[in-house]
Amino acid sequence: MKKIFALILAAMMLFGLTACSQGSDVVENADPVVSEETASAPAAAGVEDGVLRVAALYDITTMDVAKTTDNYMVPMNIFDRLFEVEVQENGGTEIVPSLCTGYTPSEDGLTYTFTLREGVVFSNGSALTASDVQYTFERLLTAGGVNDDIPLEVAGAEALKNGEADTLAGFVVNSDTEFAITLAAPNAGFIAELTGPAVSVVDKETMEQVENFGISCEDTIGTGPYKITEWVVNDHYTLEYNENYWGEEPSVKKMVVSIIPDASTQNLMYQNGELDILDLEYLDSAIVESTYKTQYADRIISGSRVGLTYLAMNANHEFLSDVNVRKAIQMAIDVDSIIASVYAGDAIPESGIIPTGVWGHNDALERPAFDVEGAKALLAEAGYAEGDISFELAMDSSASSNTQLVYQIIQQYLKAIGVNAEIATYDESSWLDLRKSGEMDSFVANWTMDYNDPANIMYTFFGSEEKTKIRSLNYADEAIMARVAAASSITDDAARMAEYQALEEKIVVEDAAWVPLLGNMHLFALGERVDSFVPYWAGYSNFYAKDVVLK
Amino acid sequence: MATNILKRVGQTVIILIGVALLIFIMLRIIPGNAIVTMMGEHANPEAIVRMTAELGLDQPFYVQFWKYITGVFSGDLGTSYSLNRSVSELIAASFPNTLRLAIAAALFAWTLGIVCGIIAAVRKNGLLDHLFMGVSLLGVSVPVFMVAMVLQYFLAHKLQLFPISSGSAGWIGYVLPAIALGWNSAGSIARLTRSTLLEVLQEDYIDTARAKGYKQLPVIMRHGLRNAVLPVITMMAVQLSSLLSGAVICETIFSINGIGRLAVQAIEGRDIPLLQGTILFSTALVILGNLVADCLYSLLDPRIRKEV
Repeated sequence: MKKIFALILAAMMLFGLTACSQGSDVVENADPVVSEETASAPAAAGVEDGVLRVAALYDITTMDVAKTTDNYMVPMNIFDRLFEVEVQENGGTEIVPSLCTGYTPSEDGLTYTFTLREGVVFSNGSALTASDVQYTFERLLTAGGVNDDIPLEVAGAEALKNGEADTLAGFVVNSDTEFAITLAAPNAGFIAELTGPAVSVVDKETMEQVENFGISCEDTIGTGPYKITEWVVNDHYTLEYNENYWGEEPSVKKMVVSIIPDASTQNLMYQNGELDILDLEYLDSAIVESTYKTQYADRIISGSRVGLTYLAMNANHEFLSDVNVRKAIQMAIDVDSIIASVYAGDAIPESGIIPTGVWGHNDALERPAFDVEGAKALLAEAGYAEGDISFELAMDSSASSNTQLVYQIIQQYLKAIGVNAEIATYDESSWLDLRKSGEMDSFVANWTMDYNDPANIMYTFFGSEEKTKIRSLNYADEAIMARVAAASSITDDAARMAEYQALEEKIVVEDAAWVPLLGNMHLFALGERVDSFVPYWAGYSNFYAKDVVLK
Repeated sequence: MATNILKRVGQTVIILIGVALLIFIMLRIIPGNAIVTMMGEHANPEAIVRMTAELGLDQPFYVQFWKYITGVFSGDLGTSYSLNRSVSELIAASFPNTLRLAIAAALFAWTLGIVCGIIAAVRKNGLLDHLFMGVSLLGVSVPVFMVAMVLQYFLAHKLQLFPISSGSAGWIGYVLPAIALGWNSAGSIARLTRSTLLEVLQEDYIDTARAKGYKQLPVIMRHGLRNAVLPVITMMAVQLSSLLSGAVICETIFSINGIGRLAVQAIEGRDIPLLQGTILFSTALVILGNLVADCLYSLLDPRIRKEV
């Protein structure tokens, strides 16, 4: 018997030893293996000065903006853009110089000549030149395919993308510090577009030498205030101050982002002082209301999420193809009640397509009033009896608890006018696949602006037949879509704004193509070690660590 | 015995090929598109087509499977679509954390379960018996996530005895997840140990041992437990497999970078190579666990050894 127990014990110890020895390995791909013992993990007590500890629900998948449209936390902090958006004290935003100190547009609005800031070097000491910017544009067109909307506007972009040219014809390097970009068509929002994380400038010289850009910390080099020094997949990643940074030295010298997949765990960590900033986006609104708005009320910072939560309706659907049905649905939903009950008032109702806070937003646009009887009458006039209309409300299973509540409330509002909306839950992949196929009946989703220009939302959703199809809107008016696409080219600001607002009225009010719901506030709770924090202007979960000041 | 083990290894290889084929087929039947998920919101149809071709997903099914299975046998499980890393490396980095958690949970569950089971059997119908069996019933019936959250709230948050997130906290970070994960298994083991030991203690040879003048403890340990332990070991083997593959809830609540979380991430992202890799690896573990259990039987029971 002793032998047997000894055998079992030995087997367990062997497993344990194997586990312990293997446990020190962390994935860093091409980088040398980093041991867990040397990894700088966030500690609950005795935190070094200058260290910021935050948490994310999901790990990033890449640091390369050519291959992602949402993993922006690292790119925003280790790279710079040609221009940035700065949040003013009054809450407004302003485009400010970053790697570019200025630009001169041509009279026809097609060519922009830019001047690069002098003396900027990448974190590995390599100097920034106009060739790096050219390489950045060309690479977005040839290497990724997910973030090429902006470089596609440059003359000759299609030829480069299709392999018919080796270089981007519309991009001319005049000197190390000067370059000119010629667009295929005028675009008044072009400078605003250059502030988006998608146009993060990379080092041509480094890129030609490395194999794992975006994956390996050593290979991912930028000019930004930080450099990535460690990335342990699904555990944490660390950013440290870039000594070569051209701008003012930030208060945060090191930021550790821990991957904590459970929002409740993040909540407890914040309360125990283990996190310096807590993103309240994924916490249940009841907890935010009962705990954070009472016990931590003076520690909450809110940033307006510049974007829109909307209910999409597929115009190819048997019933939703009828504009009267869509209008009745618009009238049946009480957005103010949703804001009060789900978001505890931390949101604003939206009426159109261009969200509040974006240039071109129309304050005067009025959404159809909440009117159950009016909606019922409209359906009756259109020849529908109660229960005739049914469709599927497709929900992504990873939707936040607040969004899930919005689905349920909308379902009840629709039931009140005799419309049966069945909530069907899909996993994220199936949901996205179905939506992109153009076959999804209806869904609730949110769009947060990439840059402060109406084209970012108008063109993305209603700019072409393909664009409305991949969002299962299937908007049918080709003339309107052509006008949306052409609106970017209007160089006179007033005329452009008037055109966008006319289009918005036609699409949302006249055609009832979707139901605008709300724009919510993004709340963050600050820990005792944080003196001040300015969230990203668009209200992303991602933010600039340089905009955090520690005590 | 060696021949039999070789035969079992051969069977294991065939089972693994079958499982790989099954996973391969299933992943192509279920809805959702790996490339669409990977490329996200902005990807246009041309980019999706190009990426599909680059990853070889436009090739015939049998070509894809042949490439995959030959890769598996040469140790290459492919490259994760979403994480852009070798699947083998990802599994190698996360499995030790799962293994550590499973072993800690098993040690907790088995020690507690067997000790409580023995005491309950010896003190049949006594206070301790009722107490342990009541607690074990609670262990069997309370779900893992609830135990995990209660432990996390009181012991980590309120009393601050343990870290809330285990990820980078060292061995102490594994105490609460191990208790939460092992709680259920401890209950089952305690109940089984009690019932099997009670049966054995009714046997004549136990009376004979007592008649020979042996004291209570040697009778129970040498004659009783040895004969009662076989079904318990069977359950242990099954439990170890399920602890290894079922730790995803604990891994999520306590932020442990384990194989369960990797699998969930693969499912959500339709990351086919990563999902195939994690499922195949977990299957191999279960088969290996059963093989080890069979070998242990033969060591424990001479009758089985003879049959083998």
